[in-house]
Amino acid sequence: MMKMLTGRVRSDSDNGRIINVLGYDPAKNELEIRYLAGIVPQENNLDVELSVSQNLYIYSKFYGLPHNVASRRISELLEFMELTEKKEARIRELSGGMQRRLVIARALINSPHLLILDEPTTGLDPQVRQAIWDKMRMLKKTGVTIVLTTHYMDEAAQLCDDLIIMHKGEKILQGHPRALISKNLETYVLEILNTDVFSTIEAKGFRTEETAGRLMLYGDRLSSLETVTEPLNAGDFFLRPVNLEDLFLKVTGRNLHD
Amino acid sequence: MTEAVLPQRIVTTPPPLAYRLYSVWYRHIRVYCKHLISNGFPPFVEPLFFLAGVGLGLGHYVGLIDGTPYLLFLASGMIAPSSMFTAAFECTFGTFIRLEFDKAYDGMVSASITVTDLFVGEMLFVGTKGFFFTLAVMSVFTVFGLVPSYFAILTPLVGFFAGMMFGALSLFVTSFVKTINHFNFFLTGCLTPMFFFSGIVFPITNLPEWIQWVSEVFPLTHSARLIRACCLRQFSSLLFFDILFMVAFTIVFGYLAVSRLEKRLIQ
Repeated sequence: MMKMLTGRVRSDSDNGRIINVLGYDPAKNELEIRYLAGIVPQENNLDVELSVSQNLYIYSKFYGLPHNVASRRISELLEFMELTEKKEARIRELSGGMQRRLVIARALINSPHLLILDEPTTGLDPQVRQAIWDKMRMLKKTGVTIVLTTHYMDEAAQLCDDLIIMHKGEKILQGHPRALISKNLETYVLEILNTDVFSTIEAKGFRTEETAGRLMLYGDRLSSLETVTEPLNAGDFFLRPVNLEDLFLKVTGRNLHD
Repeated sequence: MTEAVLPQRIVTTPPPLAYRLYSVWYRHIRVYCKHLISNGFPPFVEPLFFLAGVGLGLGHYVGLIDGTPYLLFLASGMIAPSSMFTAAFECTFGTFIRLEFDKAYDGMVSASITVTDLFVGEMLFVGTKGFFFTLAVMSVFTVFGLVPSYFAILTPLVGFFAGMMFGALSLFVTSFVKTINHFNFFLTGCLTPMFFFSGIVFPITNLPEWIQWVSEVFPLTHSARLIRACCLRQFSSLLFFDILFMVAFTIVFGYLAVSRLEKRLIQ
């Protein structure tokens, strides 16, 4: 789907729907879109034959940036992505997190109006994830529109002002994450993890869900869920506010989708 | 979609075609020049070995070919394959690695570069390599007194267009290849016979007629004929057909290669 926005994948049927990116149609104006938008693909496709700073420099050439503008932009971006120390390093010497940061820096070289990220933090450690989120928030403040796909609901909850939940290619829900949660879910969920006590639970009055290893009770009042936990041992349950993941699973189902 | 939700178009001017081609070309030059010594070594040395081995050894028994001493005949022929081999290796193994293993093209077309820019720029790069390889071999032979005419100064130009021609052919081949081992069919099945039956080591005029016709289809025959004409100052109006062949071949195979590779990069 992300590749359709930038003309890398063409729609296979003329279904009458128009894709419009910054006023351009990807099928006709791929150059204009890619000139205005920075793209962070799923895969870190950096140029392994070039060093860190050369990767950014060659990319600046693709956008036609003059040499002095490019050099200034490159040192700014290396600083911003905390890669200055690595500027002469070869790509293969970088960790996964560094490569990811460099791909994001590369996407920012032409000061894009729109930043498109395809699963930006998949496979990264928590420090890098948090760092990337911070950078995204900083970019948002400077007026860059960010479009990202993710499988991580915490990432979506952290970054998105407008969220679309998609399932089998169809839009299911759209809105601000918090608004979506409050509209579609109760406030709290009690997860009971000890399968032996399932039968003793008084679940009346709550919406329940059961999986192979867990029984979940959803409710709006914390105190009434706490009452249910009273006879249970400390490790047998987990009481928490609902989150976006609960919503996602509710609307797309718990079955595995490949 | 209703009109109201369509965003306002931001007016913008991506770099023009010539600049985009230049930027792709520049990327390849930059990478190539990182290993200039090891990359630049073969064109200077390889033809000397061949010339010494075949020219001095075999040449002793051959004498004159079309009125030209065999060593001069061979030297003027040996300039042409250098641009063929450099372009062919670059646009088979090099291109395939960038396409399938390094994913370098995926990264490049995320910028404001089209797939056409990518491969035409690459053809210009192998043209440039052809220019310098031809220049290198021609210079070495000149030092050894094997290039009698000043018109040899034109040979790098032929080398440039030959590089683009073989680049186009090799990209076309690469567009079919699924695993890197398939290139052996091309290198051994096409380039090797081309090397021997393009009038480089011996004239094709004494071969059976059908081989002569096949030879006229080989692109190397035409670039070799032009280069030999420059080196030995044996010009004739028939050379226009060689130029025409090279131009047409480059355009046809370049077009086919780019459109096939585009399908591979854009789903």
